Order: sequence, then C-alpha cells, then structure tokens
Amino acid sequence: MPNRSTWLPCVVVLSLLGCAEPADRPTEVAVDEPLQSPVEPIRASGLPEHLPTDLIWQTNDTDPTFASPDALRGGTFRTWMLSFPLTLRRVGPDSNGSFAAYTRYIHMPLVGFHPVTGNLIPGLASHWAFDPDGKSVYYRLDPNARWSDGVPVTSADFVYTLGFMRSKEIVAPWYNNQYTAEVIDIKAYGDDVVAVEGVSAKPREELIANYQPWPMPAHFHKLSKNWVRDYNWRVEPNTGAYRISEVRKGKYVELERIDDWWANDYRYQRHRYNPDRIRVKVIRDVNVAFRHFLKGEIDTFTVVLPPLWHERAKGEDFDRGYINRYWYYNDVVQDPGGMFLNMDDPLLADRDVRIGIAYSLDFEYVNATVLRGDYERLETFNEGYGEYDNKMIVARRFDLDKANAHFTRAGFAERGVDGIRVRDSDGARLSFRVTYGAPPHTERLVVLKEQAKKAGLELVLELKDSASSFKQLQEKKHQIGWMTWAGQGISPTYWEFWHSVNAHKPQTNNIVNYDDPLMDELIDRFMASTDKAGRVRLAHEMEQLLHDSGAFVPSYKVPYTREAAWRWMKLPESLGTPKTEVLFNPLELSQAVYSSGGLFWIDVAEKQRTRDARDDGVPFEPVFIRNEDYR
Amino acid sequence: MIELSPLARKQWQRFRSIKRGYYSAIVMAALLGVSCAAELLVNSRALIVSYQGEWYFPTYGAFLPGTTFGLDYDYETNYRELAARLIEEDRGDWVLLPIVPFDPFENDLQAGVYPPYAPSVAGGHFLGTDTTGRDVVARLLYGFRIAIAFALLLLACNYAIGIAIGCAMGFWGGAFDLLFQRLIEVWSNVPFLYVIMIIASVMVPNFWTLATVMVLFGWMSMTWYMRTSTYKEKAREYVMAARALGASNVRIIARHVLPNTISVIVTFIPFSIASGITALTALDYLGFGLPPPTPSWGELLDQGTANLDYPWIVSSVVIAMVVVLLMVTYIGEAIREAFDPKQFSYYE
Repeated sequence: MPNRSTWLPCVVVLSLLGCAEPADRPTEVAVDEPLQSPVEPIRASGLPEHLPTDLIWQTNDTDPTFASPDALRGGTFRTWMLSFPLTLRRVGPDSNGSFAAYTRYIHMPLVGFHPVTGNLIPGLASHWAFDPDGKSVYYRLDPNARWSDGVPVTSADFVYTLGFMRSKEIVAPWYNNQYTAEVIDIKAYGDDVVAVEGVSAKPREELIANYQPWPMPAHFHKLSKNWVRDYNWRVEPNTGAYRISEVRKGKYVELERIDDWWANDYRYQRHRYNPDRIRVKVIRDVNVAFRHFLKGEIDTFTVVLPPLWHERAKGEDFDRGYINRYWYYNDVVQDPGGMFLNMDDPLLADRDVRIGIAYSLDFEYVNATVLRGDYERLETFNEGYGEYDNKMIVARRFDLDKANAHFTRAGFAERGVDGIRVRDSDGARLSFRVTYGAPPHTERLVVLKEQAKKAGLELVLELKDSASSFKQLQEKKHQIGWMTWAGQGISPTYWEFWHSVNAHKPQTNNIVNYDDPLMDELIDRFMASTDKAGRVRLAHEMEQLLHDSGAFVPSYKVPYTREAAWRWMKLPESLGTPKTEVLFNPLELSQAVYSSGGLFWIDVAEKQRTRDARDDGVPFEPVFIRNEDYR
Repeated sequence: MIELSPLARKQWQRFRSIKRGYYSAIVMAALLGVSCAAELLVNSRALIVSYQGEWYFPTYGAFLPGTTFGLDYDYETNYRELAARLIEEDRGDWVLLPIVPFDPFENDLQAGVYPPYAPSVAGGHFLGTDTTGRDVVARLLYGFRIAIAFALLLLACNYAIGIAIGCAMGFWGGAFDLLFQRLIEVWSNVPFLYVIMIIASVMVPNFWTLATVMVLFGWMSMTWYMRTSTYKEKAREYVMAARALGASNVRIIARHVLPNTISVIVTFIPFSIASGITALTALDYLGFGLPPPTPSWGELLDQGTANLDYPWIVSSVVIAMVVVLLMVTYIGEAIREAFDPKQFSYYE
C-alpha cells in the first residue's frame, strides 16, 4: 500500500527535479502578487562561505557497462496506463499518481547508482565530494548538462529548487518538509558546483540517496499563488533522454527521444533509451489492455499475477513464437508485507498469543493453492538489501502443535462451541479483526482464515477501502493489520517502523506500537553509524529482535518480474541487471535508485517480418526465457 | 381457522387462476423453506454419524473435534474424510452427509490443481467452485438466504414506517401533511449511494447497519401511495358513519381505512422484495455491502465478471438471479390482477 512517508527515500531522490518545454504558455497576469512567506528550515546552514580546497573529488568511469552495443535506435514503444494523469506537474496536488513514473523519471539524477556494482555513477554531476562532517555533499555539474530546451543546467537551478520547494505556493507539504527538516541548505559555488547539506550524518550512499536534490528549471517556473493551476498542463523542461512531446487529454501522452541529448555518448548511458517515441495510451481496464496487447497494439505486458501468467499468457501467438515470455529473477528490495499485530491490544500484548498466531497462519498452503506456488515466503521484515539481510532467520511455518503450545501458555487451552479457543480465566475469545484495504487479497485471507480455525484462532476480515484501512492502521485502531509498505532505499529502515518514539501515538508508521528500549538503542546506533560493517551487524541484531517479538508475520515476496513481449522487442543477452524491476522500462529509473532501465530496443525490420509471418501463418521457434542469474 | 371474507376468497381464486404467478409463488415458498433449512442440505457437517454404537447429530450443535471419532486432531472433524475412512475401515460405522457436503466458507483445495474448479458430479461441486475453492451451490444458497432475509426485513420496516406516516398524513392532512411532504422531499434528495460509501469508509458495514441505512432512505416511497389512498378513503361515507358512531381516530384508521387500502400495499410487496434483493446484491458487487467472506450474490457476480474464463461462476449467479427476480415479478403481476377490482366485474 503506497504511503507518502514510506516513499521517503525514493521520492526524495526522484522528485526534486523540474522541467519542461514552453509548449502552451498561459498568459500570465498579476505579476507582482506577494508570495506567502516560505517554510523555514529547522536550523541554520552549516555550509562554508567558500568552496573548501581540500575536497577529494570522485567520479566513476571504470565500472562495467551494462547496455547492449547491439541495440538499435528507432521505433515507437507503445504502452498503456489505467487513467489519464490529472497534472503534468512534478509536485503539488495530484502529482503522485501513476504517471509520476514518467514525470519524475524523465529527469536525470545528480548522481546515480550502478545497477551491478552498486557504486555511484555520474549523472548531472560529473564529480562529487563528501564533506568530512558526514552531512554534506559537493557536486560538480557536468558542463554539457542541458535542459531539454537547450538551456544549460547550472548551480542556480539547484539553489532555486530550495526556495521553490519551501514555498507554500506549490501546495506540497511533503516537499516543504523535506526541504526544511531533511535538506538544510543548498549552496552554489560558482556556476558549476553545488553543495547540499542534510540534517544528520549518514553513510555516503545514504547521503546521496536521501538528500540529493533534483533541479527545478529556474528559467521556466514563476511562482505565484496560481502556480498549481497555471502549470498544471505545462510541459516542464527536463534533463533525461525523453521529453513529453504530445498530450491528448484523456487519450494518450507521447514522449520523444531527444536526438542530440547531452549524455548520449556517456559511458553508462550509451546504447540506452532506444525507441524514438514512447506512446502511453489510456486503457481503463486491465483486461481490455491485455486484449490490446494480444492484438499487437501494445508491445509488452507485465504478467506477474498468477492468473495472468498461467491462464492468459498462452495460446497460438505464444506457441508460434510471435510473443515471447520472460521470467526474470532480480535482486531488489522486497516490500515488507504481512500481518502487523498491534501490541497495544490487550490480547496481542501477550507474546505467546502473537507467536501462536504466527504458527497458525498457513502461508505455504495459500501459496501452493490459490497463488499457484508462484510466490515465495518472506522471511524477515527487511529483505533484498544484500549484506544487511539476516539470512539465519526463517519465518515461522504453520504448525498446529506449536500454536497449541503457545496458545495454551497464554491461557487459551480450551475451545468454545464453535471451535474457537476461549480463555478460562475471563472467557475471552481468541478472535481478531484483520484490517486490510486490498480487495484482491481477500482470496488469500479467506484461506488463511479457514486454516487458522484449525488452530482455534478466528480471524474476522475487515475489508475497507485502501485509504481508510491505512488510516485505521496509522491511528493504531486495528488489532491485526494486513498491508505492505512500499518504497525502498538502499539500506533497511527501522526508525519509522520500530522506534518507541513512534509508538502509542497516531499517524506514525510504527503500526504495531513496538516499544523496546533495546531496539531503540540499536536503532539510534544504526542511524548514527557511518560504518557499513557495524550497521550490517546492527541490522542483523534488530531483525532477530523483530522475529523474536512476533509483532510482524511476514507473508510473501515476489523476487522476479514476468513479462510478455512481441517478438520485435529485443533485450540485451543478460535481459537486465540485478536491480531491474521491469524489463521493458523505457526510462532510466523505476522505483528504486538504481540506474537500470532503458536497455531494450525495437527491431523495426523484425516487426514487419513478424507481422507478415503471422498473417501467413508461418511459425517461429517459441521463446520462453527463465533467468535465475540473480535469484 | 380464519374464515376468509368472500372478497378475499375471490381474490385468492383469481390469483390461483393466473398459473404463472401461482406456480412462481409455490416455487418461491419452497425456496424459502429450503434456504431456512440450508444447513441440512448444504453443509460440511454431517447429518448423522454412527460411530462405535453412538449416534451424533453434528448439524446444529457445538463443533465436534476430530478426536471424537478417533482422529488425530482437535479441530472440527472433516466429515467427508471421516465418511471415506469409515467406509474403508468397514466396522459398521457410517456417516450421512448432506446432498452438497460443503459449507459456504471452506476452501476445498487440492495441491497441484488450482481453483476455480469446474462443475463436476464426482468432485461434489455441482456448480463448480469460486476462485478460492468454495462451493458455488453453497455460496448461492446461503447468499440467497441472506438476501431474502434482508429484503423481508427491509420490507417490514419500510412498510411499517411508510404506512404509519402515509396514513397519518392522509388522515390528518393540513399542517402535518405539509410538513411531512416537505420533509420527505428534502430527505429523498440525500444521495443514498454516497451515504453508503461514506459509511463503508468509516466502518465495516454489517447486516444490521446496512439494513438500517436502507430503511432510513427507503421508507419514503410508500408514504405517497398511502397518503393518497387514505385521503380518498377518509372522504367516504363509511368513515363518516364510523365517526358518527363515536369511533376513535386509531380505530377508524386501523379497522376501516387500512383494510380498504390493503390492495395498494399488497401489490407493491413483491416488487419491494425484488428491489431489496437487487439492492443488497448491487452493494456487494460494488464492494460496499457485507464484508467478506459472507456468502453473497454480489460478491459472486463480481468474481464471475472478473473471471470470465471460468463461466460457471458468472452463469450460476446470473441465472439464479434472473430466475428469482422473474418469479417475484410473476407473483407481483398475479397479485395485482387478483386485487384489481375493475376486472371480472361482469354479470352472469
């Protein structure tokens, strides 16, 4: 379930850019309107007056490249979205919809992350340097960096960003907060160097991931009290390989490749972003969209869901090799999803009850039946962070004897007339509300519920719409919450979910009211530490504590993507990188911070050949590739 | 034995003579009876178990753990497995299962074969299963019971309120009538669906909250009809006569006016039931109805339309719905004709 605060790491990194093309400038009125006073930062800047001379400037031009030199430029990549965006702005009201994947990721980050080595790679900044205070980073801008309208990107754009993001006119409280409570200052040293100071010291990669600003084009924006309305449909200049070229409201948005894009021949950008055009068409129903795909009107389709993969993604076009199927295991962060047990509930306060519940939930059975064995069990809260993962922990499997032992110890030895356990002392029933907001998950929960009855545990399903279910969890009014946190950084996050300062009060992400002084201490040390080995040790320890507490029962992970694509859609030999979330992602980034997209290309000649062959009924060798290189 | 008035007897005869409506009424009554005894026909609990000389009747009582029958678990006995096992052991013990041995909640899942399962007599799922392996017959029957109970409850409450207020408006007229007319006009402009959506977002609706909300917004239509008929009847001589004899207002309304407006009420009943069923189904379909895993036609319809590749889900519920609504309409039609005074008034 996406939630603003959990998006913190990725949104921060990805959303500070601004840009566009002056396509349909509205006439501007009221030039001298006074602006509201901006939000104030929480403390004064600590950046020096002059650029320090002892900085060690770094760059990276030695890591392996990951795009295919065979890639061909050309063609139009045709894809779809469920609804037309409500705005083309990157910030402000309605800007966090699904189209944000385009408005955000057509911008280049200052510094990116290599998808294989995890090292930093140049973006808008050709060089970077870390201040010894552990909070600030200096970036030297690439002299070639250009906005899509040809204007050079300068340090002034970043300084402008700070004021822009602090202004109330953009109606974006999250950004107001991010640029005052998290980013303390942005300062320019000449045209080409910019420094960014964060609120606290962090390991270097974290500094980049958490505090990196994206520039807003200073020459394009003019803040006024009507900014939100005036800029709603204006195409902002951007810095990535594509720019928005055509907007047909309610129908489609088209992006075109910038032919002489400034980073065309850069080491990590070469042979990427190959289609000449991307057309994102509105199709308001998934099933209808799949029909479009089968007719060849859409080039690729994500078919991760078991029914799609097993029932729909088959037939003549697949058997005759016109449509290829890919099952690609990646090594990305797994969103923590499962049951969150509210420890402030009188029954759930008892550890034995919580552990008993964990043993009563038959995730393996659900996976083997309704999920067709496609998913894997999530073992811990944080997974997919490489060394940070505590691989010694195995989530508790369905075990009626162990459940019985724990429930009995908690006083729930006897069963009532309906087979549900009752406590002898006060007649309390072993029954809990499970609050959730995702209707498709009902299938899983009804099976869990029926299996849990065997352990004498009753789960009362409480389906709400996703917003109010999440609200109930944030207000801590639930007993058991079934949800998945979305958003991910480059290392695990503990503070917002498990620190006691976030327990026992509404509107925080510690939805289980976890409150343990030992955990607090570990989290504080984890956040203060800049030494990776130490942080890894702490993460392992915290993960063990979480497992022992039974406050979270992990459900599933999907460590792969499954996609179907017409024959003319080509991929590099390796298909993707370890950090590839979507094989056919036309832009540089997706959810995570790793630069992994834009690797595929369209073979236009092959497209004609495939179409002719299909018309004439000539089959090809069917293609199904299952890649487990990064499993 | 209640003696029917000659008029009522005549109406009954007329009703019987309209075959379509009459047979529909019989079938509906039978369905109602079946759904009341659903536990005896469609249930995972056995009807009778004869085990080691003792008889057990698990249907309505407390749950019987597997250990009762020498099984190695202490949760509820799986009677289908027990039946197979007792036959195998062949020691004279036996189990009598209902015709459809599944309850509407249990997931009858087999490893390696993925639900929904197609209809099969051998598997015991006569109409197949839904996407989590629950028997469609069981979901349909228990869903029908809930829907019809909901519709009847709605009917009773709506009519009680509607008739009382409508009669009062017609009978007293004047300021009281005016006040209520405006009140009803205002109230009926509150968008009902939004109210349901808001309620569903703050709390999980259950049978009673849904019924309350529906009554809150459903009593108005009946008031208009009752008001008009009462106005009409009030002006008749027999009411004046009753008044002259010193009858109280309550007596006049209850003994004289109401019986004479009964045809209005009766003709509306079947259609109100139909609308009650469709209302609940629609709400469930839209996701604002009863919470999962309550068996419901709307939920089945939703599943069916989302899984058109498994036609037995959607076709079962659509056919069931069409048949029931058709029968209700036939009954309504027949009642209306039976109560219509204009027809059949010819001389012999």
